[in-house]
Amino acid sequence: MNGRTKGFNLLELIKKVVFTDFVKGLSITLGYNVSRSITQRYPDEEKWIPYRRWRGLHYLNRDAEGRELCVACELCSKACPTQCITVVPMEDDSGRGIADRVAKVWKVDLVRCLYCGYCEDACPTRAVRLGREYETACTDLASTVRRREELLVPQALAENIEGGVLVKSRLVRTPEGIKVEPDLRRHKKRSL
Amino acid sequence: MLTENEKKELQAALKKYPNRRSAVMDALRIVQNGRGGHIVKEDMLEIASILEMQPAEVNAAATFYTMYNVNKPVGKHHIQVCRNISCSLMGAEHIIKHLERTLDIKTGQTTPDKKFTLSTVECLGSCATAPMMQINDDYYENLTDQKVDEILKNLK
Amino acid sequence: MVTVKINGKEITVEDGTLILNAARDAGFEVPTFCYQADLIGIGSCRMCLVEIEGQKKLQPSCVTPVLHGMSINTESPTVVSARAGVLEFLLANHALDCPVCDKGGECELQDMVYRYGPHKGRHAEPKFKFHEKDYVLSPVIIKNSNRCVQCVKCVRVCREVVGANVLTSLNRGDHQEETSFLRSFLDCDQDGNCIEVCPVGCFMRLPYRYKTRPWDLKGADTVCPYCATGCRMVIEHRDGVVIRARAQLGVGLNSETLCARGRFGFDFINNPNRLTTPLVRKRGALEPASWEEAMGLIKKNFSVGGGKVGGIASPRLVNEELYLFQKLFRTVFNSPNIDSSSRWDPLAVESFVSAASMHEGGVSIFDCMASDTLLIIGSHLSDENPVTDYIVRRISANRRMNVIIASPRAMKLDSSATQLLRHLPGAEDSVLEAIILNLNYDKLPDETLKPVKDARLEALLSTAGALDKEIKAIARKLGASSTVAVIAGTDFLRAPQSIPALGLLKDLLRSRGKKVTVLPALDRCNQRGAWEMGVHPGFGPGYSRVDKKGLGCDGILAAAEQGELDALYIAGSDVASMYPDGEFAAKALSAVKFLVVQDIFLTETAKLAHVVLPGASFAEKEGIFTNQEGRAQIIRKLLPPPGKAKRDFDIIRAVGESFDPSFGPKNPVLVLDEIRKEAPMYGDVSLVFNNKKNIEDKLDNRAALVKGAQSAALKVSRIEPRADLGGAEQFPFRLVTGNHLFHSGMLSRMSSSMTGLLNAAVIEISEGDADALGLRNGDKVSVRGAACEAQMTLRTRKGSGKGMAFVAENFEDAPVARFFRRGKGAPRVAITKI
Repeated sequence: MNGRTKGFNLLELIKKVVFTDFVKGLSITLGYNVSRSITQRYPDEEKWIPYRRWRGLHYLNRDAEGRELCVACELCSKACPTQCITVVPMEDDSGRGIADRVAKVWKVDLVRCLYCGYCEDACPTRAVRLGREYETACTDLASTVRRREELLVPQALAENIEGGVLVKSRLVRTPEGIKVEPDLRRHKKRSL
Repeated sequence: MLTENEKKELQAALKKYPNRRSAVMDALRIVQNGRGGHIVKEDMLEIASILEMQPAEVNAAATFYTMYNVNKPVGKHHIQVCRNISCSLMGAEHIIKHLERTLDIKTGQTTPDKKFTLSTVECLGSCATAPMMQINDDYYENLTDQKVDEILKNLK
Repeated sequence: MVTVKINGKEITVEDGTLILNAARDAGFEVPTFCYQADLIGIGSCRMCLVEIEGQKKLQPSCVTPVLHGMSINTESPTVVSARAGVLEFLLANHALDCPVCDKGGECELQDMVYRYGPHKGRHAEPKFKFHEKDYVLSPVIIKNSNRCVQCVKCVRVCREVVGANVLTSLNRGDHQEETSFLRSFLDCDQDGNCIEVCPVGCFMRLPYRYKTRPWDLKGADTVCPYCATGCRMVIEHRDGVVIRARAQLGVGLNSETLCARGRFGFDFINNPNRLTTPLVRKRGALEPASWEEAMGLIKKNFSVGGGKVGGIASPRLVNEELYLFQKLFRTVFNSPNIDSSSRWDPLAVESFVSAASMHEGGVSIFDCMASDTLLIIGSHLSDENPVTDYIVRRISANRRMNVIIASPRAMKLDSSATQLLRHLPGAEDSVLEAIILNLNYDKLPDETLKPVKDARLEALLSTAGALDKEIKAIARKLGASSTVAVIAGTDFLRAPQSIPALGLLKDLLRSRGKKVTVLPALDRCNQRGAWEMGVHPGFGPGYSRVDKKGLGCDGILAAAEQGELDALYIAGSDVASMYPDGEFAAKALSAVKFLVVQDIFLTETAKLAHVVLPGASFAEKEGIFTNQEGRAQIIRKLLPPPGKAKRDFDIIRAVGESFDPSFGPKNPVLVLDEIRKEAPMYGDVSLVFNNKKNIEDKLDNRAALVKGAQSAALKVSRIEPRADLGGAEQFPFRLVTGNHLFHSGMLSRMSSSMTGLLNAAVIEISEGDADALGLRNGDKVSVRGAACEAQMTLRTRKGSGKGMAFVAENFEDAPVARFFRRGKGAPRVAITKI
């Protein structure tokens, strides 16, 4: 039989006696105990501010004079792979939009949306953009459809704010429910 | 409304053509000459009814030719500068600029004293003497800035 | 025949074929903007340039005919770069506002640039702009000249096809703009053919403006529900609202053309006043009820066998429904009292069908246009059947033929006529008999001719109000032609004494070895279908003999007035508004013991009903319409009926089943099988769904034409003219009626586009009469007849006959039916300025 040599290995025995493996494992655990935590204390203490490239909730832009950029060309809804955008145009030359064609209805069904950003690419006037808002969870299906009126309200994170940081945040009670309120002035750089 | 004289002239013109509508250019010319150089909507409507045409067709004929001025009153002297290729090569653009400066109007406009109207036209068939312009019925050729100034002075 | 080589492929084509068509036949695509087969080629867009071997410069293939042995290249690098160059130039001043443009998504320029274009422009100069904002050209047309590619199709279609000639090219070169006189508001036919031919978004529909994108629309191929020309069109809806009707190039006899009613009049479908639930009269008022309740009442009040019942079905229903309707009456109710028209005498209809040879099968309009002489009589074709008018104008302009128009009123088509006859209204008989007297009539047996011979030409001429030389000229032209086509309109049915003369002329010409075709010009989409389905008291399906002749609309109303009618079932017809004696009709309908009205709106008739059933419009059902030529064409369903409304087919079947559970067939397809059996005319009619370009036989789908009836039980009856109402001194104008260009029947009154074009009643008299009265176009006038008075707007028409006033039958605010008296001839009116 050319198997393992039977016999006694002294080194192994010593290792077992002084709990080498145990110490090794424990050192990692203890190491984490003293290192910086990677858990985000979201939502009541911290909130992650995504990078600018992030594709979150849509918003509709206005030009410098406050006119809606959307001309209701419906290209976003045509480009949408999940058909979650509905646009109905109308005529309005009162100066609401940059052209006399404006959106009567512009709505996006967030349940169907896969945040691919094709709508952004298709938009000839850069009216629709995917913003950095990602807190879209809700308890009723109806509020997953976001309409033009809501989307025209500028998002809390302006485009010029750099992302990739954790900011201080707290929970606040609003008439619409509990919201996370970030404090953009107090942030720390964080790489994932 | 056409005057009696104009109507008579138009009747004479009608005799030259095999059908009535062919006389549209004559009719427009007669009207324009009698109206101080331009044609208005009512004239075209009247010509259309006399020649049994649609008003739109008269309008088309009148706007096709730069010689007719539709709804655009012109001054006493209508300066038409050729801007086609020969004249352009010989400096028509410069002549136009110069005219705009001296008259203080833009192309297509009339001076406030209603004396001059400046417009650009297509080839007037005088390429050998480019650059050139036509003021009312007269040609002024081989233009230079000085020559233009002189012509304008004489007209004033 | 010549043989040419295209891209190396040899093809043999007819002499004079355009290179473009030869290339397309050979299977090569040549892009075009300005080419359209129906229009005169102008070769202006330069997209179709091709290279011909041996010629240094590229040639426009849409105006260059092939020559024997030509070698043509449509794909060479020079051609490809020329196309890209042309497109680059077209885009140089193009607005490029595709996101806003209504044409975006179906724009020929977009497609062309995508396919052949340079994708990149080198023009850095500022673009020339005609105007900043789109301008409205008419209540239905809006214009943006900045997108124009100067193909001039709009101007050409307006001139060559529509004949309105109100569009033109202003200015020249890159400043050339196709628009109206000084861009002013258009006073034209408003048919929107300029919109349809426009390859870009230059001419646009105003009612469709900024409503959708073409890819959001769902469409159904259908047939226009207005006049009986039978234009194929597609209606399209977005989210259940029908927002566009369009014609398609090369589909149907109309190809890309439609009239104002067809293109813009579909929106009655969306009218909020549509009936959506059955109504039942309770305590004197109509109240919503359930279907069960309504059906229960019908079952209780319609007696099978015993009592006297009647039925009037609208020629707006499809053939399947009409067939079932007559079957319901003939087999279930055992009553022959059915009719399909509230306006016409059944005897007149029978005579007209016979005189116009409708039982001999379908007659293609294109066959009529291939004849030597075309006689249009008894029809104001330009207003009643506008697309027929386009076809006549377009084809007659391109071939040598006589077009004779005999009409009391001037019409747009007059300019295409080689001979014009203005006769007195209602005097078609005198005109035709005078023509017959001038033809050589020796070959007919004496009995037939006797009444004609007796009539003295002199007297005829004076009653017709025509000149001897005019009649002689017409007779000469008819005599010299070997093929004659007659378009006979609804005026024959309004003045039925003229019908025998029509039959006589046809027989006489035929006896002289001429090929004579008669095309009836009708004003309801399925009027011919209604007759051929046997919705007539005198004949059954396929003009077959019926054992028991019944009462027509007039007889039914008379019985009702006497209180003899137990029940009346009106499906889709507005008898109260349309019957020529409004007062009598209202009185008679109120006297019916039990009145059921099935309609899509609460019409004047429905308001008198005991039970109102909500039916479906043409967009909500499938079926067959037979147009005036006898072409059976399918309509497709686009939407479900609104609310609790049902297809008329289902309603009629349910009524039948409540009396006889085996009443059927149960679905329209089986009904069609039965129709094919019962009316052999429909036996081998092909209903192949032709929503495709009809390449084989161009626009003329001959397989859809019905065949001749095997045994037609028809005869021409001599109908004595009704005595005029008199009072010529007091009332100087003889009142004539018909359809308006913008309104036919009562449907168009429910369309907001059409009422936007014309809402209040207008009265039309000749310019001479207006001058004599000191009235001008647009004046408000009071129109006074013997029994009633109405206020209308005056329209004058140059060239119309004197002493005649025309009021369309479609205005509810001034119902012309009120001026008429039952059993009397045309009323007379006086016109005074308010």
